[in-house]
Amino acid sequence: MPDPRPLRAVIVDDEELARAVLREHLAAHPDVQVVAECVNGFEAIKAVSAHAPDLLLLDIQMPKLDGFEVLQLLDRDVAVIFVTAYDEHALRAFAVHAVDYLLKPFSAQRLGEALAQARQRVGRPAAVPPSRLAAAARRPGEWLARLIVRDGAQVHVIPAEAIDSIQAQDDYICIRAHGRRHLKQQTLAEIEGQLDPSRFVRIHRSWILNIDRLARLEPATRDSRTAVLRDGTQLPVSRAGHARLMELL
Amino acid sequence: MHPILADRGRLALYLAAWAPVGGLIAAALALPDRRAAGEAIGLALPLALSGAFLCLAVWPLCRSLPLGATDPARLVATHAAGATVTCVLWLLVGAAAAGLMERLPAFAGAAVRYRRDIPMLLLAGALVFVLAALAHYLMIAFERSRAAERAALELQVLARDAQLRALKAQVNPHFLFNSLNSISALTSVDPARAREMCVLLGDFLRGGLRVGEREQIPLSEELALAQSYLAVEQVRFGPRLRVETEVEPQARGCLVPPLLLQPLLENALNHGIAHCLSGGAVRLGARVCAGQLELQLANPCSADRPRGRGTGMGLANVRARLAALHPGDARVDLQERDGVFRVDVHLPAVGAEAAAAETASAEAATAVAATAVTPTTTAPAGGEPTREDPRDA
Repeated sequence: MPDPRPLRAVIVDDEELARAVLREHLAAHPDVQVVAECVNGFEAIKAVSAHAPDLLLLDIQMPKLDGFEVLQLLDRDVAVIFVTAYDEHALRAFAVHAVDYLLKPFSAQRLGEALAQARQRVGRPAAVPPSRLAAAARRPGEWLARLIVRDGAQVHVIPAEAIDSIQAQDDYICIRAHGRRHLKQQTLAEIEGQLDPSRFVRIHRSWILNIDRLARLEPATRDSRTAVLRDGTQLPVSRAGHARLMELL
Repeated sequence: MHPILADRGRLALYLAAWAPVGGLIAAALALPDRRAAGEAIGLALPLALSGAFLCLAVWPLCRSLPLGATDPARLVATHAAGATVTCVLWLLVGAAAAGLMERLPAFAGAAVRYRRDIPMLLLAGALVFVLAALAHYLMIAFERSRAAERAALELQVLARDAQLRALKAQVNPHFLFNSLNSISALTSVDPARAREMCVLLGDFLRGGLRVGEREQIPLSEELALAQSYLAVEQVRFGPRLRVETEVEPQARGCLVPPLLLQPLLENALNHGIAHCLSGGAVRLGARVCAGQLELQLANPCSADRPRGRGTGMGLANVRARLAALHPGDARVDLQERDGVFRVDVHLPAVGAEAAAAETASAEAATAVAATAVTPTTTAPAGGEPTREDPRDA
């Protein structure tokens, strides 16, 4: 018996033929309605905001934003089925509570199983939003190469090397890069764990510094110092932060 | 160093083998009416010991006069001179031993008795020298055949290794999976193109297998292979991928290691075009300049693409293969400027003189391949009108 409410799905893949396979297979499931097809991550984020789908069929390797980065930026809960030719992301996919992980090429039956899983998942919101999980999912030994920040309708991709410093601000972090500030909902401890520790150091309870930007250190009080960056910015350095900084230099 | 001297165990074994020779010498010296057994043993001991080491000195002589490659007259003359020197040295050792023994009252007259036996010892010495030379020649022949066997095996392993690596690079699993997925899509949308894609994929895989076994192939063949790879990827990327080639006719005949361009093309597509929203053109150029074959591959690249994932392996492979083939004479330069990534490969232009003969046939071959690469617009599946398809817009 078909579900009275159809499953609203969005297909995200940069390859026309890959979308065509999904479209064709989904046509055999009358209870699934494709509300949008997207050719890249930016479109996917917009489509999720606009259509509020139940299900995202998401490719991983895409230009600009990969599938995991798309998840980080979603502002609502949605069931995700990854569809990719790469099997090495499977662990990460389940770390972000993906419903299923389809390997290209896949059979109609395999997609059917994934959809059955998705139907069970829909209507039961995840305990932790996927965006939060996606930010933490990282391959072991691999550091964050770029930060993805959403600013209203705009998405900023900030390469790690472009980051000057990061400041904790309540539940947010303020990222300074290219002379601009970006706000992102994440804790400083979380982002500290994801950044390359040979380049980024926690110099203070609420500051992370890219050591390439450091020009000099100046004494401030008996117990603390001030870091002067190449652009003249001054940041506080705590005693523990100074010890960590010295260890790295 | 002599192989017997280099190994303590071998040396002990060798000296043990000389013990019976020493016994024989002692027996000969103690023949009736010649001298007492004690004197014979006293003489035989230094004679056998020095004989053992003098025989090892034949080794450098044998090595410098390889059988078959030396004029027979020179061989005989040199060995005769060697035998003379060795025997004289050996007899001097015996004379010294006899001289020392004569100082003892028990062995009075030992030196005179020794002088009497010199002709017999000389004969024996010459005989042992000939035997030693023969033994050394045998040993050298044996060692040489073993070394040749080992070298041949090593070369085989290296070649196999290179072939395996090339094949592995060629059948990048993701390339295969993505291609199969494209075929899976085409089977219902456009069966004719699905079949065409199977043929393209087959051509590429077969081509790679065929050239992978050879050490070097003409650039024209390498280009044909590159074209068939690009033709397969063209189906997947659609209009996002454009290919522009500019190859001097003179460059076509130059020899390159097979599948040299393959990892570079893969990088250009997977780390370049794949990360550009609207795609771009891969430009492939080849020319001959001042005895050097210059290959150039340029592709647009996105500044904020994820870095350091798998680009190094393919490049390291290209560099290693070129360095093995043209030590110090080949280089690979990388450059990223204004959103364009460029790889320049320089290697000696070998085999360019054969270009003229091959140009005609090569051009015909690549003309066929080029038509296959020309972007053909994919007809989107008959989707429902409510769906957004940017290609329809």
